[in-house]
Amino acid sequence: MENCEQSSPRAREEEEDEAKRGGGEGGGEEDEKIIQFLDSMDSYLTLMDSLSSTLRQGWLELASARHSMGSSRISSALLSHKVQSAATTMQVAESNDKSVTELQTHFTLSKWAYLREGKYSGEAEAGGFQNKSSGSQLRHRGPNNFAEGCKESYSTINGSPIASDGNIQRERSKSLSVFGTLVPPKLRAAQVSFETALDSIVELANMRSMVLSSLSQLQQEMESSS
Amino acid sequence: MAGRAQIRTNSSALIAMIADEDTVTGFLLAGVGNVDLRRKTNYLIVASKTTVKAIEDAFREFTTKEDIAIVLISQYVSFHVANTIRFLVDSYNKPVPAILEIPSKDHPYDPTHDSVLSRVRYLFSSESAASGRR
Repeated sequence: MENCEQSSPRAREEEEDEAKRGGGEGGGEEDEKIIQFLDSMDSYLTLMDSLSSTLRQGWLELASARHSMGSSRISSALLSHKVQSAATTMQVAESNDKSVTELQTHFTLSKWAYLREGKYSGEAEAGGFQNKSSGSQLRHRGPNNFAEGCKESYSTINGSPIASDGNIQRERSKSLSVFGTLVPPKLRAAQVSFETALDSIVELANMRSMVLSSLSQLQQEMESSS
Repeated sequence: MAGRAQIRTNSSALIAMIADEDTVTGFLLAGVGNVDLRRKTNYLIVASKTTVKAIEDAFREFTTKEDIAIVLISQYVSFHVANTIRFLVDSYNKPVPAILEIPSKDHPYDPTHDSVLSRVRYLFSSESAASGRR
């Protein structure tokens, strides 16, 4: 008798689980997609809020620097139009996995990284492009004869190429030197704020990719069910 | 091999900007500025004198160049100053370059004018209209 009483709730639970599994698999997948979509939307809005806050700080610091140096010392008229490569660039990886209908794109930031020939090496990795909201999964293989020369000055963090501290400072100073040799601390602080904003922007780009991908999957689900 | 991910990579792509002077200056300090051999920059500073055509041309150029990964555009520019590109921004579907609308110094971010969120609203409003008809 006790065994029957004990097994009946268990039997009921097992029946419920089986019902969920059998009839609810399709619904479960759809729910998962909806949750993924809502999560990515939430992250997108949170990141946008964070970006707004960082940009506001940067603008304020820039305004303080302009106040101490003078308006003419920090203006677009001083920007150089000489041929120059960007010191901060992006790495883009697109995967076209046949198991996923949408093209997945992943962006990675390379801050103050030398990506010229002879100054960079790494490895390429494949896979794991879905649900990547931050960090890098991509490294690039460079020519073998450059690898040794790179090790001393350059390294990777989470697969993103970065320059050593000395080179970073040099590149930062080069960017600041457009506005003069001696610049106020506020201008340096503004530089750091905008660098931080770039991190948010890269995350936003990845989140945008995820939102659009989830949206497209939901759209297809809705069309197939209607 | 069937189902294997094919990966295309671009290891040195740029960030383009169509924004106000302070925003562009700040990001140039962060090292994103690029001037190519034709003296073309990867940014456009939008001031009061900037024409809508210049903004449209810059937008088309940045979204068609292969070496640009992200296009940052001030939401105020895309929605108010050059609303002729509003349709282009809203209907833009390519994964690369990614178009991100950012706030500007004088105009905070407005989620109701974000192109990504507009697409979501459109989907759910069309879905609710369709379910109402059933």
